[in-house]
Amino acid sequence: MKFIIQRDQLIASVQDVMKAISSRTVIPILTGMKIEAKESGITLTGSDSDISIESFIPAEENGNVNVEQIEEGSIVLQAKYFPDIVRKLPEKTVEIEADENLKVTIRSGKAEFNLNGQDAEEYPQLPKLQTNDSFELPIDLLKSLIKQTVFAVSTMETRPILTGVNIKLENGNLVFTATDSHRLASREIPVSEAPGQLPTVVVPGKSLNELNKILDDTEETVEISVTNNQILFRTKNLNFLSRLLDGNYPETSRLIPEQSKTVLHVKTKELLSTIDRASLLAKEERNNVVRLSTRGNGLIEITSNSPEVGTVAEEITVPSISGEELKISFSSKYMIDALKAIEYEEVKVEFTGAMRPFIIRPANDDPILQLILPVRTY
Amino acid sequence: MVNWSDIAEIQPLASRIITNSIKKDRISHAYLLHGARGTGKEAIAELIAKNLFCENLAGVEPCNQCNACRRIASGNHPDVHWIEPEGQSIKIEQIRNLQKEFSYSGMESTRKVYVIKGAETLTVNAANRILKFLEEPSKQTTAIMLTENSQAILPTIRSRCQIIDLQPLNVIQFQQKLMENEVSESTARLMGALTNNLDEAIARSNDEWFATARKIVVQLIEMFADNPQDVYLFIHNHWVGHFKERNEQEEGLDLLLIAFKDVLYYHIGNETEMVFFSNQEQMLEKVALSFSQEELLGHLNAIMQAKRKLKQNVNPTLVMEQLTLQIQR
Repeated sequence: MKFIIQRDQLIASVQDVMKAISSRTVIPILTGMKIEAKESGITLTGSDSDISIESFIPAEENGNVNVEQIEEGSIVLQAKYFPDIVRKLPEKTVEIEADENLKVTIRSGKAEFNLNGQDAEEYPQLPKLQTNDSFELPIDLLKSLIKQTVFAVSTMETRPILTGVNIKLENGNLVFTATDSHRLASREIPVSEAPGQLPTVVVPGKSLNELNKILDDTEETVEISVTNNQILFRTKNLNFLSRLLDGNYPETSRLIPEQSKTVLHVKTKELLSTIDRASLLAKEERNNVVRLSTRGNGLIEITSNSPEVGTVAEEITVPSISGEELKISFSSKYMIDALKAIEYEEVKVEFTGAMRPFIIRPANDDPILQLILPVRTY
Repeated sequence: MVNWSDIAEIQPLASRIITNSIKKDRISHAYLLHGARGTGKEAIAELIAKNLFCENLAGVEPCNQCNACRRIASGNHPDVHWIEPEGQSIKIEQIRNLQKEFSYSGMESTRKVYVIKGAETLTVNAANRILKFLEEPSKQTTAIMLTENSQAILPTIRSRCQIIDLQPLNVIQFQQKLMENEVSESTARLMGALTNNLDEAIARSNDEWFATARKIVVQLIEMFADNPQDVYLFIHNHWVGHFKERNEQEEGLDLLLIAFKDVLYYHIGNETEMVFFSNQEQMLEKVALSFSQEELLGHLNAIMQAKRKLKQNVNPTLVMEQLTLQIQR
């Protein structure tokens, strides 16, 4: 294997790929980075077995030549040293050459490194995903889908399946759902030109957080495809693969109450900052409980009290309120998370009694849904 | 490269049980391989894993050529997980990571294998944590536990596995192999009693440390017979200084055990089985005279107990002191 490559291009790619590589891995080969040279360009691969990132550097792009003198082949290099070496090389181009004894030579200007590589055959084979079962989404939309749901995944390992976000495609709608069994966040968006059916999958919340970090806020689109084991997010030169969680995701649609007894319209920001203030006196060991009570005349009151510290009460005027009077206690933390995830000015909160879950949606019926279970207080 | 046909030579029964279950496609969800050191536990575990992943199986034999086989052999296969004791035991954290790993789908295939080496060192917490996991495997999961002492494993774990007992290696064959490798006959006999691993035995027979260890044990026994008052001093001057590490201490006790066993054999006229004193008749006679058979049995028991205490992290110097006091009496 041999090629000469623009250093800047290589650095950018190496940085992307390094995000997937962890030094604490049980499989020795995964401490390395795979480099594969083909006529069309160079592919770098990094993986910690949960997620894998492939970055492709095309040999030619928009008339610029990035990679020259390509001799095909592949090698695995120690990820501990390779990125630093590349970053500190003196010249604008880097020559990388591997011989059949897995010795790698990196040349740039007068600097020359000789590294011991590993056999690329030893590297895990990433699944070849077919593209006909895929669909496209704008990157910014995907990022907001992730942001609005992933915070609600469970952090407890007792039910591993809940540490992921359930992604399903139904009747041309893409639905993201996350729950930790105390709250639930879900969002639906219509997808054009979607394939008829896509297997319903559960993607680990950790992987989605990583993906969110790696994707830039651009107008471009990302292509999503799924196999039994892995899900692939493909942008122009970057492939992000994540393993899926095994198991059946609980049926969540029945949890969402269909009727409501009390409906509240409220300015998101006002409610958010009031609850934030009230939560100052809410105790963490008691679920950060705050209490909401209706006061008639378009008033609601948010109170919190912890006997050792003191109490807080604040009234908010709300644009509209209808239905029964209500007193309900809930976790301020969950409420704050949910309100932050809804990026609309006004929200509609629907209650069905003090002991039943309530839901929060944007007032204009955009299909974002946040559901929170109340806390029982005496 | 090892094949089932190679395993069949040293472990005919075990290999037949496993290959038959492979042929009938009835591989158990969990195996517990139980056998002394060098009986081929790891080789069998590796073969089972290869059987499950190999791309071109020839009957029951994996090809050892394909990508999957090669990566299993080098420990790089992403769906085969090896768990080894970290220090003295397998910690709960390791099991937690394993369970997390298994809540994910497979990396390359839908099949997964995990191998737990030294399963008797699972801490109580770790063992209890793995129980449920063993009992309700997700589809296509195979667990292989390797142990030298299946009795030290929680009975609840044992009952969830198919137990395969590996027979000890044939000592005479082993000695002959050693002698082919230019090890003297007496040393070969001793090695046969100490270990089952050929490479280890050859390395040990050329080791200076081992030669000294052997000498110290002989001196100690002689001293027990001649002037027991000085034994205590001898322990501090020679024994403690030479047997420093944990495995060295265990080996010292093993040697002592074999030596006392020889004395007992001499008493009951079972001279052919002797391994330690096989060419030191005179001294043996002298020692044998100063111990009765009952005393010897008591000493053997004391040594076994000392070994157990070492395993339970009792201070090694104290263990040796107590042992010598017991034998002196």
